[in-house]
Amino acid sequence: MAIIHEGLSEEFKYVTKQNEQEHIGAMFDSSDLLMQEIAFNLIKGNNNEVYDLVKKALDQNYEANTVLDDGLIAGMAIVGVKFRDNVIFVPEVLISARAMKAGMEHIDPILSASGVEPIGTVIMGTVKGDLHDIGKNLCIMMLRGGGFTVHDLGVDTKPDEFIDAVLEHEATVVGMSALLTTTMPNMGVTIEAFEEAGLRDEVKILVGGAPVTKNFADEMGADGYGSNAVECVQIAKDILGVKG
Amino acid sequence: MRKKERVINALTGQPVDRTPVSNPTNVATVELMDLVDAPFPDACRDPELNAKLAITGYTELGFDSIAPYFSIIQESSALGCEMQWEQKDNWPTVRMGNPIWKTPEDVKIPSGFLEHQDNLAITKSIEILKKEVGDEVAIVGKTMGPWTLAYHVFGVEPFLLLSIDDPQKTMESLHKLKEITVLFGQAQIDAGADVLVVPDHATGDLVSGEYYKRFLLEIHQELVETLPVPLILHICGKTVDRMPYIAQSGMAAFHFDSKNDPQEAMNAVDGKINLVGNINNPETLYSKGVNDVKEEVFKALDAGVQLIAPECAIPLKTKIENLLAIPQAVEEWTSRK
Repeated sequence: MAIIHEGLSEEFKYVTKQNEQEHIGAMFDSSDLLMQEIAFNLIKGNNNEVYDLVKKALDQNYEANTVLDDGLIAGMAIVGVKFRDNVIFVPEVLISARAMKAGMEHIDPILSASGVEPIGTVIMGTVKGDLHDIGKNLCIMMLRGGGFTVHDLGVDTKPDEFIDAVLEHEATVVGMSALLTTTMPNMGVTIEAFEEAGLRDEVKILVGGAPVTKNFADEMGADGYGSNAVECVQIAKDILGVKG
Repeated sequence: MRKKERVINALTGQPVDRTPVSNPTNVATVELMDLVDAPFPDACRDPELNAKLAITGYTELGFDSIAPYFSIIQESSALGCEMQWEQKDNWPTVRMGNPIWKTPEDVKIPSGFLEHQDNLAITKSIEILKKEVGDEVAIVGKTMGPWTLAYHVFGVEPFLLLSIDDPQKTMESLHKLKEITVLFGQAQIDAGADVLVVPDHATGDLVSGEYYKRFLLEIHQELVETLPVPLILHICGKTVDRMPYIAQSGMAAFHFDSKNDPQEAMNAVDGKINLVGNINNPETLYSKGVNDVKEEVFKALDAGVQLIAPECAIPLKTKIENLLAIPQAVEEWTSRK
């Protein structure tokens, strides 16, 4: 492991589990000071600095994928750990996500033009009757930070809208969120709609939200349940058989 | 001991004959709506329907208090927020994705705020309830705290980002929104509310305990000084980390969620504030049976929780028999002791 940026080295101390130290540490193995500067500023939520540093890196002929992996995604991995461990909370994650978005303004057009395949395509939405979106949005930020392409259907999403989006984008994962105990059952209704449409075997369905539990998810027939936004990335990777 | 006296005594540290069963958020269900022909969303907007439904907490369930404000959106509707009123089986919600304000300078209480249909639905309902059962049962009003109002009027993400980008403007916004809390709270007291719940969702699922201390503790202390009835603070989700601060707020009680163990919560507040709670909604009251409900009630009572209640507004399709099990369990536990 080779973290040479002083601030990033301090941030890395929040990664305390051995397997995560190895996994996240390896993300910095081949990175230089500029990439680590990007990662550090993303963790701190300094969106203007990330915007400028990513542009600087691309101007210096770094590959867009290198900046994405060694700078932005590596930084977001530490944000995820800090969030899960209650070192930081949603406001701090939001500013990191804003910084990620600032960096992606430079990277997205390059990746789109190069035709690089994402590790998976996910359809996300809050279920019908529910207008809460902060949890769903956090999952989207983490999934995008983890290399997924995510299509956000917003709130109050009807079963047909999930199905149409899966067909349109050829997605293999659907993520549903609910904050209300009154709307949780609409996750099951949506799963049934996929069955009726003959598409249930074509997609993996993940669910989450403050009142949703693993038992509830299992009873509805979901393929996966995440209790927080960080978990959803690993679950999506596991379910698709993606390593890392 | 009358139900009303039992609730007030528990909230003010006076002796009680048994632990009261309360409903600081609400216990409206689809079954109860059908029973008295007062369905959502009309029962949220019409004072007579509202009172018909609210009183079932006493007449049908035998709780020691009744709460006519079923959701968290009445003031926000009166402020001009875009609403989704939904149907009988779902709560009305603010469309927070289309916020009405951006900065503290935008915060203005509209003229005729208290006369708006959705505020009158509550204050007029309290007047009706006061006449009908005001001597017997405690009437629990509800006025949204500034943090919750901020989610509604600014949107959740913009407000949480503001809290990092400009803490001073955040405080300014909260102090302005606090005036709405006071105005609607006082109107309910004038109408006859014995107690007020102040939901202010600075939950551990979103922000740190330090956030509570930094942005809300002082404001909550001001609310206690301003509103002359016992106040119950309600915050969903994980809150143990901020309970020592909440205990300094001066509120009569804190209504806490099942994500917090009752004994751990009692230890965290260290006798400085009463606790109300914390029977789990989605897994226990909604999905399990009477015996499971009773077990949770016993656990809260064993921990010393001062008022027993569902953790939050109950799922609308909760079975009445599960709700009836709450006061039954309190009676059983008390007679055993």
